[in-house]
Order: sequence, then C-alpha cells, then structure tokens
Amino acid sequence: MTAKLMVGFDRRLLQNVDWALLSATFLLFAMSMLTLANLHVGRAGGGVAWRQAAWFCVGLVALLAVASLDYRRLVRAAPAVYLLGLAGLALVWALGRSVSGARRWIVLGPMSIQPSEIFKVCFVLMAVWVITSRWAQPVGGSTLFMALPVAAVPFVLIIKQPDLGTALLLFPVMVVLLVGAGLRLRLLGALAAAGLAALPLAWLVLKDYQRERILVFLDPFRDPLGTAYNVIQAKIAIGSGQLLGKGVAGATQSRLAFLPERHTDFIFAVFAETWGFVGCIALLMCYVLLLLRGFDIAASAREPVGRLVALGATSLLAAQVLINVGMVTGLLPVVGIPLPLMSYGGSSMVASLMGLGLLLSVRMRQFQ
Amino acid sequence: MNRIHLRRGLPGRRDAGQRRITVMAAAVTAAFLVLIGQLWYLQVLEGGRFLDASDKNRLRIRPIAAPRGILFDRNGVPLVDNRPAFTLSLIPRELPREAAARDAVLGRVAALLRIPFQELQDAAARVPPDSFLPLRVRRGLTLEDVAKVEEWKLELAGVITEVEPQRVYPTSRFAAHLLGYVREANDDQLRQGRYRRGEMVGQNGLERLLDEYLRGKDGGERIEVDAMGRTVRMVQQSEPHSGAHVVTTVDRRIQEAAERAMEGHAGAVVVMDPRSGDVLAMLSTPAYEIDRFTGTIDRAAWQRVVQDPNFPLLNRVIQSQYAPGSIFKIVVAAAGLQEGTLTPGDRVSCNGEFRLGTSTFKDWKEGGHGVVDTYHAIAQSCNIFFYQAGLKIGGPTIARYAQAFGFSRPTGIELPGERLGLVPSGRRERRAWPLGETVNMSIGQGAVLVTPMQVARFMGAVANGGVLWRPRLVQRVERPEQGVVYSDAGQVNGHVELSPFVWELLRRSLWAVVNDGGTGAEARIPGLEIAGKTGTAQMIAKSKASLGQDHAWFAAFAPVKDPEVVVVVLVERGGKGGQIAAPIARRILQAIFFEKIAAVEVRG
Repeated sequence: MTAKLMVGFDRRLLQNVDWALLSATFLLFAMSMLTLANLHVGRAGGGVAWRQAAWFCVGLVALLAVASLDYRRLVRAAPAVYLLGLAGLALVWALGRSVSGARRWIVLGPMSIQPSEIFKVCFVLMAVWVITSRWAQPVGGSTLFMALPVAAVPFVLIIKQPDLGTALLLFPVMVVLLVGAGLRLRLLGALAAAGLAALPLAWLVLKDYQRERILVFLDPFRDPLGTAYNVIQAKIAIGSGQLLGKGVAGATQSRLAFLPERHTDFIFAVFAETWGFVGCIALLMCYVLLLLRGFDIAASAREPVGRLVALGATSLLAAQVLINVGMVTGLLPVVGIPLPLMSYGGSSMVASLMGLGLLLSVRMRQFQ
Repeated sequence: MNRIHLRRGLPGRRDAGQRRITVMAAAVTAAFLVLIGQLWYLQVLEGGRFLDASDKNRLRIRPIAAPRGILFDRNGVPLVDNRPAFTLSLIPRELPREAAARDAVLGRVAALLRIPFQELQDAAARVPPDSFLPLRVRRGLTLEDVAKVEEWKLELAGVITEVEPQRVYPTSRFAAHLLGYVREANDDQLRQGRYRRGEMVGQNGLERLLDEYLRGKDGGERIEVDAMGRTVRMVQQSEPHSGAHVVTTVDRRIQEAAERAMEGHAGAVVVMDPRSGDVLAMLSTPAYEIDRFTGTIDRAAWQRVVQDPNFPLLNRVIQSQYAPGSIFKIVVAAAGLQEGTLTPGDRVSCNGEFRLGTSTFKDWKEGGHGVVDTYHAIAQSCNIFFYQAGLKIGGPTIARYAQAFGFSRPTGIELPGERLGLVPSGRRERRAWPLGETVNMSIGQGAVLVTPMQVARFMGAVANGGVLWRPRLVQRVERPEQGVVYSDAGQVNGHVELSPFVWELLRRSLWAVVNDGGTGAEARIPGLEIAGKTGTAQMIAKSKASLGQDHAWFAAFAPVKDPEVVVVVLVERGGKGGQIAAPIARRILQAIFFEKIAAVEVRG
C-alpha cells in the first residue's frame, strides 16, 4: 500500500520504513475497534466503531502524505501551518458548537472537527522551526524567549474553550524540545521558578467560579457530583477486571453505563475491565514499543531538525498516553485528554497518525 | 533502549543530545512502570474488592444544596431567610428501563401528588437516561405529600424526596422587585455553562445582581443503597458551604410601612437618605408573589403573572416613565431664579386661564389663585404663573436644568433594566422651540418623562443643596470566614450649583406646600417639618378617561432643617397628587419619625 504512493522515490526511503512502529500502530487500532464494537454508546447507537474505522482510514492517508514529504520542507512551512492552526482555534471561538458548556468543535456537515487536536501537530512543527531558526542560535536564553510565545498564544486560545488538558499539554512538549535542543537545564529551572512565582498573580485576576474550577481540577473530591464520580467508577471498572478480565460479555461496569465518557477519555477503563491486567500489559507494551521507536528515531537522526521533529512527535504522544492512563487509574487529576489511537474521536485519531507520519518521515531520511 | 541504540546507531559517537534522549526515554519507561504498578494494585491486589463493588454498584449521589446567603436590612434584620423545604426528585438511572414500567411509576407519582403526568414525562425526557443526578421535579412539597411518597416507596423506583433550603419572605409580596426571586437556571443560563441543570439561580433584583456572592457551594454525599433504594452506608460526604451574607441599605420597618401605605394602589414608592443616596425602601405595586416564584412554578401561575394587565413584573420605580406633573415646577423655578429671569417678587394675576396664540391653557383650579408671587405659586402649584415664567425662561434653559438635576440620565442604580426618561434635547436650542411645548413643559406635562427613582434623586439634591447621589442598595457583602468581600461606599454622580438664596427660597416654598395653605396640606404632621411638592400627571390621551384618572405624585423631604429622608410616592391613575399621594407619604413619614412625633405630642 505504501509502495504505490511512493513510486519514483529513492529506493532507500522504502528500505527505512519503520515496520515495528507501523505494526504497533495497527495493533493499537485493532484493540480500539475491539473495545468500541462492544460498547453501546447512548443515542449515537452502535456506529461508533465504524466511524472510528473511517477516521482511521482518513488518518492513514494523512500519515502517508506526511511521511512522503520531507520533514525539512514541513518545518520550513511551519509558520504558515501554525498560523492556519491558530486561525482554526480562533474559528472555534467564533462559530464553534458548544457541548456542555465547552466550545471545542467546528461542525462541518455530518462531522465535527476539533481544531485543538490538529493544532498539536502544527505546534510541534512551529516549535521546531523557532528553536532551530538562526535567530535562536546558540541555544540559550534567547531561544527560550522566542519559544515561549509559540506555546503561550495557543495556550490562551485553548484554555478559553475551555480545554485545560490540551492547553497544558503544550508545555511538556515544549520543554522536551528545548532539552533535546541542548538548552542548559539551569536555565529551564530558572524559568520554572519564575512561572511558579507568577502563579499567585494569576490567581488574583481570576473570578471566584474560575478559581473553583481550578480547585476542582486539583482536587476532584471538592466536586463529588462531577469528576470524582467518574474517577471512582473508573477505578471500580479497572479493578474488577482483575488478572484476566471479565471478557466482553461480563464487563458490566462498561455495559451498564456506570462509566461516563466510556468511549472517549475513559476507554482505557473499559479495556481494563474486559481484558484484565494481562490485557493492560499488552496494551501498554504497544505504547512503550511505539514510544521507544520514536526516541530511537530521534537519537539516530543526523541533524537537529530531524531529531527535534521526532522528539516532538514522540513526546506529544507520550504525554497524552501517560496523562490519560494516569487520570483513568486515579493517579492524576481528571483533564479531558483522549488516549491516542484508542479513544473514539476523529480529530484525535488523524492528529495522532499525522504525528506518526512525522516519525516515519524522519526515519526514512536518516541516511540522506 | 540502550540496546536499540547500539544496534541501530552510532556506537562510540554518542553526542550529548543522544544522551539526553536516552535519559528521557528512560524516564518515560519508568512512568509506564508506575502505571503498571498502579494497575497491579487495582486489578490484582484490590481486584476482589472492586469486583464486589461492581456487582452491587448501587452508589447513589445525593447533592446537599448549600443555603443561599441571607439579605439583611441596615439594622441587621433579615429581609429574606431560608427554611428547609421538601423536593420531589427523579433519579433517571434508577427509573425502570422499560417505557411501560417507567410510565407506571410516573403515573403513580402523578396521581399521588396531583402533578400533570405530561409534566413528569417531559422532565424525564429532558435528561439523559443514565444520569445519576437527582432531577428536581417539584419543590415545596407538603409533609403530607412526603408521607405519601414514602408510603409507596417500594413501587416508586427512582423517585425520592429531598430536603433543600428554600427562600422565605416576611410576606408573600415583600419588596418583590427589590429582592427578586430564585429559580432553576433557565436554558439561556445553562448555555453559558456557568450552572448545572436544576441549580437555583437568582433571577431578578438583588438575588440576580449578587448571585455570585449569595450562592453557596453545594455539598454532596455518596451513599450505597440496596436494590430497594434503602441506604446501606454512607461512603463519603462533603459539607455544603453557605453563601455570603449581604447587608443592604433598606430599612425593613420603613419598607413594611411603605407597603402598608400603598396597599390597594398601583404605583411606586422610594424612600431615600439624601445624605448618602441610601435607598431605605423601594417598592412597586402591584407586586408578584415572590414566594410562588421560588423553585419550580407551575405553568398556569406563571402565565397568569405574565398576562396580568397590571404588569406586576414591571419594576415601576426604575422601569416606568411618567410625566412629572407639577413636581417639575421646582426645576422651572430653580432655572428662572438662578438665571435671573424670575425673581421672588414677580407677581402674576391668575384668573384660571392663559392664552397663547389661539390656544388656551387652563389652571387646575377653576377661577384661578388670584395674585401670586413665586413662593405662593409653588405652594399652591399655580399653573398660570409657571406658564408665563416658563416662556420667559425659555424651553432650552429649562431642559438644561432638568438634565443637570439628573433627568434623562441614568441614576446608576445597580438593578438592571433602568429606563432613562426623557427631556427634550438641548441640541434643538438653535432652532425655534415650539412655545406650546415650553408652556406644557413648565408644568411638567408634554415631552418630559421621569422615573420615580430619578425624582427621588432630584428631591434629594433639593434637600441637600445640589448633590446627586447614586442610589445605593448594598452596603457590603460578608463571608463568614473571609469578612467583607465587597463594599460600596456610595458615590456622587452629579452636582447642581445654585446660589444659596435660590435653595433657601425653594425649600421655604416647598415647606409652604405642606404647611402654609399649599396643595400638600394632606401630608402635614404636627411636630415634623415636612417640605414637599404635589404633582398630577395628566394621561396623555384624555379619551382614555375610561381607564381612570391622572397619575398622582408626591415628593417630600423631612425634616426641612437637615433633611434625613426623601419620600417619593406615585400612584397610577390615583387622581390628584395632593389628595391621593400626599396622605400615603404622610403615613410613611409617620412610621419613620414616630418617636420624634410622639415626643412632640407628649410635650404638647
């Protein structure tokens, strides 16, 4: 399938396709389909799995397109892509559809698109562009100074939706990129200290109900009717899966709809209830494989742009997986972050596959 | 990881960047190990316990509504309080799944409590069927209702009664427009995303203005129930936190006196402190029954209020505009005296009629007042004198003074929906100002429109020598644990400069209105020096006479020396200001100054 598209390419490109990474991706998608197919989600009916499959196909096309392009050209185009992404975020604000108080989607005919998901990829490219631009050399204080607004502007736009989880995601990715680019750790520490010092100021500006939201975010049990309920139900679902799982028929927690958001953010709990500890290990191993390949691609890239693109794509994926599983298992506060490649949601699926496309693109060109 | 590196990579030539990547990869792997550890704990170590929990997963969440903050009057007496009330709620998830069985439950509830079946069905259809939050269907159940529901409990799966704090008011219509009411968040408010469905939100008046402060933080408890819906044990509980308390400027005693005095009349009353702008009482009649608006109101009752031809929802104090009638003569006199076009000694012979071109303007008194000077013209409210004075002063100048006294400008009161009234625009100064319009304006008819609150602020300025205060309703908001979180020190939003002799003459003439053979004699109280002015606002179309009479005004302040209160009374279609509005003002003033009056009577 890949071969057709790449006719006329340097043959060496094909030799360097990372088959392990692609296999892990397909395995994860299979697990997602298996989980979704057995869920009866509210009024959407049983079509969730088919829609997910359709989105996976769209995502594969995007993956191939990204992989066949030279990532250096993509990075060169980053400012334009980034501005387009920002425009998408602003568009949400102007004509987005509101779901339970949050404006995150733009409705296009039968589907709705979540620009903040797609934006994550644009963000990685832009961050790499800024950090490797000649004004940012040598990597140091000035790099930091230039990189900050790249994250801060979309942060404000996304947090306004409000989507605290996605907004907060931008910072670990930026930090990983700066560290990967060779920023001195002492400088990063100073920045973190400055950020912490500014927090009380921000607190003063907020209104009472906004403060309350942040407190609930930090301590879900302040709001026992909202997020804390989800966490408890998720824990019961996961725990009751025990070592081997209850199987598809026995997963009552998920089937009887005690779990909220069970096809999106909390899909891991459904999977854990159905397949137990053993299934979870298999699932997490797929992610570990994916991520270690990503780090390996970054390490073996020969020049900084390729290394940073791979690092950015990998850290984006890693942060989402760790935060999602962490929150579903009750280790982290609940923020709305989907589990890449597993959660139902077209925009997230396409964005994740585009990220993998970037990794493939870097891998294929590492000997050029 | 390292192995992958060495195989693929560049043995011996690992640069600093690669080392950093290795560290990051190791960190991510470690994080995954933590996740696996947590899964081991949840699924293998504690798995049995969770399996148990999932088998009888009948956790129920019961919100505990936080009491709203209390609104106090200026002396610490509550204007609104809370009391526990019973609410009927449905828990969608625990209702029977099959439509027929569910309808049977709802039908039984409908029959027991005499609620329309359709209403219950609609309510249940509005929320997702797997929602675990109680859906409030009917508030304010009687004890008898609660007993019925408890009795049938075993056949009413998913139906519960809860206790919630509810607003109580001193009387059914007490200060309805000022306080406002509390109801479930409406669809617009839900769309803003600030509130949950079924949450109680202040919808009008101070309840709405201060909602952010008054609302408390709801608590909740998580209880385990058995298949019958009986509590097995409490799993977790969080305490509700009560809302902030508000100290208003209102004096409950005066508010009550005003409501008693206005009984049976449609109109508005404002009592204000001219030294600070504090609103001591404020009411609009007819009022709606706020206690019936609280919680869930049945549709029929709501329709009745909305379609009432007397517009009980309208806050006449700030949302209705009336011609000021003769009260406006104070403005005309102030303009003339200050500009020098009118002197205290000007005399006019009043025979009851005034001709301008082909039109004839009449005095309200058949035959006229005879020869009057400024003092007597104000006291007896002589129209003929003011027709002539108005023409001498000129429309634009009168309009300028009216604006300076705050007419056609917002008073700045914090309640929403204030109307501005109307004063013919000063921009027309250059063009010819129709003389007929000036003549009409001189006695407060025609194009001039004012709200009762504007009249109160204006009368306050006359009483205190020209300071226009923004009407203040709230002194401060206090949270039990944080102290004062909001306070309002009051604010001057206008100033009128007149020479001292003008103020003196105005005050003396207004004293005469009540005490020296003037039109406001009905307001006289022995032992209290009152100054005031009557007004009778003609209905614009006389043909509407079938609707009744003119609007009656009386605006007063007392004591004349160092005034402490301004009282403005407007009675819609009441008739003459002196006959209808003045006695109401007298009753209010009697209530305010009863100690002082009693002392004089004892001495006398």
